[in-house]
This record gives sequence, C-alpha cells and structure tokens, in this order.
Amino acid sequence: MATAKLKQEINAALQKDNLKGALGRFGEAYPAAREKAYEGKDFEAIREKIRIAKSYAAENMEKLADQFAANAEKNGAIVFRAKTAQEAKEYILKVARENNVNHIIKSKSMASEEIHLNKFLNENGIQDVAESDLGEWIIQLCGQRPSHMVMPAIHMTRGEVAEVFSKEVNENLEPDIPKLVKVARENLRNKFLRAEMGISGANIAVAETGTIVMCTNEGNGRLTTTVPPIHVVLVGIEKLVAKFEDVGPILEALPRSATGQKLTSYVTMMTGPTAAIDMDGNIIEQKQMHIVLMDNGRTEMRNDPIFKQALQCIRCASCLNVCPVFQQVGGHVYGDVYTGGIGTILTAFLNSFEKAGELQNLCLRCERCKTFCPGKVDIPSLIVELRRRTVKKDGLPMGQKLILEKVLTNRKLFHSLIRTASLAQKPFVKGNMIRHLPLFFSGLTEGRSLPAVASTPLRDRVGHSVPRGKVKARVAYYAGCLGDFVYPEQGEAAYKVLNKMGMEIVFPLEQTCCGIPASQMGAPEVAVKLAKQNIEAFEKENVDYIVSLCPTCVEVLKHHYLDHFKDDPAWRARAEKIAAKVIDFASFVAKHGKDLKFKGLGINATYHDSCHMKRALGVWQEPRELLSKAGVNITEMKGCDECCGFGGSYSIKMPEISLAILDKKLANAEATGAGVLALDCPGCKMQISGGLDAKGKNMAVKHTAELLAEALKE
Amino acid sequence: MSAVQAKIPMKDAYSEFKGEALYEKFKTAAEALSAEVHRAANLEEARQLVAKLIGELKIEKAVYASSPLVDEVDIKAIGSKLGIVMTDENLRQNAADAGLGISQLDYAIAEIGTLVGNATSIESRMVSILPPVHMVFVRTKNLLPTLLDAIAVYNKNLGELPKYLTFVSGPSRTADIERVLTIGVHGPGRLIIVFID
Repeated sequence: MATAKLKQEINAALQKDNLKGALGRFGEAYPAAREKAYEGKDFEAIREKIRIAKSYAAENMEKLADQFAANAEKNGAIVFRAKTAQEAKEYILKVARENNVNHIIKSKSMASEEIHLNKFLNENGIQDVAESDLGEWIIQLCGQRPSHMVMPAIHMTRGEVAEVFSKEVNENLEPDIPKLVKVARENLRNKFLRAEMGISGANIAVAETGTIVMCTNEGNGRLTTTVPPIHVVLVGIEKLVAKFEDVGPILEALPRSATGQKLTSYVTMMTGPTAAIDMDGNIIEQKQMHIVLMDNGRTEMRNDPIFKQALQCIRCASCLNVCPVFQQVGGHVYGDVYTGGIGTILTAFLNSFEKAGELQNLCLRCERCKTFCPGKVDIPSLIVELRRRTVKKDGLPMGQKLILEKVLTNRKLFHSLIRTASLAQKPFVKGNMIRHLPLFFSGLTEGRSLPAVASTPLRDRVGHSVPRGKVKARVAYYAGCLGDFVYPEQGEAAYKVLNKMGMEIVFPLEQTCCGIPASQMGAPEVAVKLAKQNIEAFEKENVDYIVSLCPTCVEVLKHHYLDHFKDDPAWRARAEKIAAKVIDFASFVAKHGKDLKFKGLGINATYHDSCHMKRALGVWQEPRELLSKAGVNITEMKGCDECCGFGGSYSIKMPEISLAILDKKLANAEATGAGVLALDCPGCKMQISGGLDAKGKNMAVKHTAELLAEALKE
Repeated sequence: MSAVQAKIPMKDAYSEFKGEALYEKFKTAAEALSAEVHRAANLEEARQLVAKLIGELKIEKAVYASSPLVDEVDIKAIGSKLGIVMTDENLRQNAADAGLGISQLDYAIAEIGTLVGNATSIESRMVSILPPVHMVFVRTKNLLPTLLDAIAVYNKNLGELPKYLTFVSGPSRTADIERVLTIGVHGPGRLIIVFID
C-alpha cells in the first residue's frame, strides 16, 4: 500500500497550481504536436523496427557490449566497463584527478542523475561541476531532482526560474523567458571555455562501429563534446544497438515522441576521439575520450523474462506526457530520478525495488501510454507484474486478502453480501446516490457521490428472453458486477435492443466477477479461480455470442483469460472457445443490428471514450455511429479519450488523484454544453455521474445501450 | 570534402529530375525550424549573395573553417572587401567573440530541413557552435530525400564513418522553461543556409 509519506507528497503536489498548470498545458499540447511531427510516417512500422532492434540488443547485451568496447577502443577511445554505480563514479573521479581537472561541464545525462554523479564529484573535491542543459542547470541551482526525463524542470514556472537565476548571478532578473535563456548562455559560456573535462550521456551506442549518438537541442551537447580536452561519455548498456542502421528508426521516433520535433536541432555521432584545443589555444590532435559502459542493474533486468521488455525503452518520456496521473502530480512524487510509468519500472531495477513497489500504486492502468510507446513496451502490464511481485513479497493487507480470497471466489457469499449492502445502505441513499458516509468511509464520498446498490439486481430482473419472430442467434449476457448490482437498468436496456435484433438471450446465473480487481491488486491466483468459474458457467449454455456492456469485463474475458492459462493447455483451450464468442455491446449491435429502426432522439450529447473500450478493444467509432443513427447529436469534448480517473479500485486507493483527473474530465464535458454524456462503461458512469452529482450538475450520464433502447421504434 | 562524400554514387544524391522538388521541400522544412535558406546558381552568384548576407549582419569579426566550398567562395576576400576580420586561427578565442561562423556541410535532408556533414575538424565545430550566427554552404546536388537516405549513405561505408558526424536542424533552441520555445541557447541563434548549385 501507499505509505503515508507518498500520500502526503501526492496531496502537496495536487495543491500546487503552478505544477498542474504547467503540466496540464503541456499535456494538452503534446498529442497534437507529436501527431504533426509523425505526419506521413508509419508509427506502427517504425516502432516495430525499434522493438526488433532493441529486443535483439537486450538479448545480446553482453556480446554487443564487448563488440562496442572493442570497436570504440580501435577508434581510439578508452572504454571502462562499470558493473555498478560506484565503479562508474570512481572511474570518472580517477580520470579527473589524474588530469588535474577542477572544472567540469556536463550535458544532459540521465545515467549521471541515476548514480548521483555530481554529488559524488563535489564530495570528492571537484566543486565546479556545471550542468549545461537549461533544465538541468535550473534544477541543479535549486538542488532538485529532474521531474521528467526529457524536460527536467517542467514543474517550474518562469517566476521560480527568475528567482533561482537572480540568486545565482546576483541580479534582480525579470521572469522573461528569452532574457532568462540569455543569462544561462552568458553564464555557462565561461564555464564551457574554462572546463578541462566534459561529461555527456548518450542516446544510442552502436556496437558494430563503436559510435556514440547524442541528441540535443541547445547546442550544449556539441559544446561539451568539442571544447574541453577530455570527454567522458557515461552510457547505460541498454543504449546499445547492433547495427549502425538501427540508429535510423530510433532517430525517427525519439524526437517526434519526446518533443514533437522531426529531429532535435543537433544529432552528434562520435566514432572515436577528435581534436580539441587546449586552454592555451593549442590544437591537441587527439583528445581523451573515455566511454563508461554502465550496467548498474540492467543485466538483472535483461535476465528477468518479463521485465527485459523494458529495455526496449528509448527514453522519450512520451509515457509521462500522456499519463493522466503524471499530469496531476508531476514527477517529484515518484521520489527518484526516473519518473512516470517507465520510471517506476526503471526504479525497481536501477534503484530500489521497495520504492517501486510503492510507486506502482500510482498507475491507473488506463493503458494510454502503451499506445504511444515507440519501443512497444507494455508498461501497464509490467506495472501489474510489479504489483504482483510486491504483493507476493509483502502480502496483501488483511482486509483486501479477506475480500479477495474468501469473498470474491465464493460467488454465493459475495452476492449475498452485496444484497445485504443494499439494505444496509438505505439510511444514506437519496435518489439513487449515496452522498455522505459516516466515519472512515467518508473519504469515499468526498467530491463524488456513490451509486446506491440496486434493490433488485439484474439477475433477478431478467433471465431467458426470446424475441418476437425468428431467432437470429443465441446470446449469453455477461453483466459484470456493476451491471448486475448497481446499474441493472443498463442491462434491461441492452436486453430490449438485443431482443429487437432477433436475439435469444440467456443469463447464466453462475456468472461472477470477471476477476479484474484481483489482478489489479496483485492476486492473480484469485483471478484464475474466477476465470474458471465464469468459463464453466458459460460452457453450460450453448450460445453463439457472449455480450457485455462493460469493456473491461470484455477485455478480461476475451484477452486476460488466455494469458491466465498460458501454461495450462486444457484450460487454455476452454478459455479460447469462450473468448471467441465474447464481444462488447456496441460492436455487436453495429455488426448485427443493421436493421434496427430508431426514432430520432434529437438530443445533444458528448461521448466519453472509456480507456479499455478505446485502447484495449479498439472500439470508438461504433458507438458514435450507433448514437448518431439514434438521433443523438454528438459534440466532442476536449480529451474525449482521456481517463476519467476511475481505474477500478484506484478510485478508492488513490482518491485524491482520481478526483483531480475527474475534475478535468467534468470541466471538458461541461464545456460542450451537452445535456447528456454518453459512454460505454459502467465503471466510468459510476465515476462521472458521482462527480456530477457531488457538484450538483444535472448532466445525465447514459450508457449507449440506454440511449439506443430509448430510441427504438416500438 | 569528406572521404565518405567523395564515394557516394550520384544516384543516391541529387538528380535533375527531382532536385527542384527536393530543394523546395527542404526550404519549407528548414524555414519551419527558423533557419534561413538561400540559393546561388554558381560561385560568382554565391560570392555576391554571401557578401550581401554578411554585410547585413553588421559584424566586426567572422570565423570560418576551411573546406573546398568555403575556399572556392573565397570567404577571405569577401571579408577584406567588407572590411571585417575574417579568420580561421586561434578559434578558442576568436570563435568565442566572433559575430559569425562559416562552414560547409555535406548533405541536406529535404524531408526535415536538416544538414549533415563531417565535423571531425575542430575548426568546423568551433565556428559552427560558438558564434551567434552560423552560415553553412552546401552543394545543391547533395540534397537527399529522407533521414534514412542519409543514414544509408554513411552505412555503405562504415569503415570510413567520420569521427564526428553532425546533423543540424535549425538554430539551437530550448523549451525547458514552461515549454516556451526560445531560439538561440548555447549554440547559434541564427542559421543561414546557402545552397550552391
């Protein structure tokens, strides 16, 4: 569980309007800028090439490191293989001491941040170690960590930067960005000219040629590698690629995904040391070039059958840029050098598994990052795996353990407890909402009303239903927990539409929770038990299709069940048969309901794309087309496919972040002026309608099934 | 001219057929990055153009890195005609306070407005990175369509890969404060590209 300290940091971050403003504006501008940069490019093809090159490099890390070292040395560089952070730091210090270095200039290197190189050099007598990347210099001057891999000072405003610079140069500077940049240029120029050593990072290291590739924008990288007579490159071994031509796809993606640029202002490819000019102006034909090839946990990551995938990361940070949580809390909450989703995973191997175990709680699992990642890293799945391992190590908190293992796997007990809850909640229900809960439950209703558990669940309302006229197909209805016990009216609407389409419907009573809460909380064995119960329940009915209104349940039944049984061929075969029949309601109606006749509803609505509907199932056009056939006029909201902040148990675990994300969604929805918000997910409905109710707004939130049922011609 | 460049078969680079389109594409892409793009039909035209451009800068000192194209344009003569210091010596000092640096690059990538070249000589780097304005000469026939084409050119002669291969896309820039784009940080704030047919 998240510790009190993490919670405190989250709350502090959420209070910072500057931070949210800066991150929010960037979060909004980023997708369009990125899209524009990729114009005319086939992102899928590029990222497949990167995946192939980087996964090959990860598999052959040791071999490529040897090959790189041999070639770089042949080119005239001195290569040092550092197993640990300590070895890397000591080597660099040794080189500095042997050459009487007092002034060091650095260009941006996350690897040097990872090992806290500056601090080490300072503590060992080298006082002047200047960062020259503007963002890095800013945070160096105020003694902070980078909050973002690409834009280290994105959390700061111009006012704050002016204050920091004023102190450094003893002048009262205005918060004027071009002037502040000029101050940096003038101040750092002297540092470049007097530095005896330059330290840089690398974006790519090419084994077949011993080449170091660096991408920079400000020109500081070129200065660092040109002016000082000694150049030290600190590079993690995950930056290796086998071939020079592998550089192509990475350069096509890295700047586009990182900053929406087609290429950074400068790309520098160094194949061995070049000439330099010493302090007195004399040309040194061949300067010292030291390449520190650092492992520091990367081999361990490669040896992990699941996490080795993270080595495909090219450090563009697009996963941070599109993360709804990052946009609310920024990078410092992550408590380490690498931030955001990929940062959580890197932290686990390069810094501390314990810390990462706590940080994984921040992920909403909206899967947005996955669709943007140019290295094809399945970050959400890796975070779930991190959660699973954390739970395996530390165990679940008692309450969760009890619910998951004793209640959730016992369908009768689980369902009877929900029915009891529907009675127990009575004193708090007004309309269909619970607005306030007493005692320690009160946090649940802060800023968001909860829906009341329905007095009669769907399973008691519907059953076997036969359409008028000819039966086109036999459908099993999968309700999901919210659809069964909280929003039975959605299921009834779906029944109505399906019947009209000529579908015979059955409701297998032994169906139970799909298991997603268990997977999410790191208890896969519970999820497997539930999968078996559901598969058995559906096997008993001989149906053509299994339809659900919940995209998360569909994703679980259709995809996760196959993963659950990847090592169990008998159950895998059974899961495959079921999976082949599972389909979400909107896709099913779009495909088989072409003859449906609607009266025009004539209402204005906006549509919220649920994360798992759009990104896991790839369905977003179908509901829009159906709704427009039903006479719903859709006005798109800003960020229509951004998460609402629900994330299942996330809204309970991280209520503050969940609400902050919800607020943004509500503001965007309201700005459309629509009277109805349409969606295809009961979970999103719970979150969004709860938020609207708490704010006293009267925008109606309706499932596509409800709107279609309303529009049906009798 | 770099060893690598000399070995490039013509079909990889410019051809009359698509040259004009490539130039236009380059110009659009480079200007979108705030670079300034000019073109001269021959050396004489280039001399006049370069003299005019340098004159407009109103500077007292320029530095240059000797290369075939820079020498053919005879940049020293232009300097003395304009009455300014034009030097390629003691660059640690001179490049630091010059108002302009002049060098040659080998290729131009039309798709993204990027210049590519061998910057192994310390002079070519000092003059291109320290002064506030960088002027680049490039042969029009060396326009390439895409970044991948440029990589392929070097990939054919890996044994002769320049020790310092540089890609330049517009003047130096940053967006590190509030994501506001500011042109001209540690590198030049202006990039003037002169294509010479």
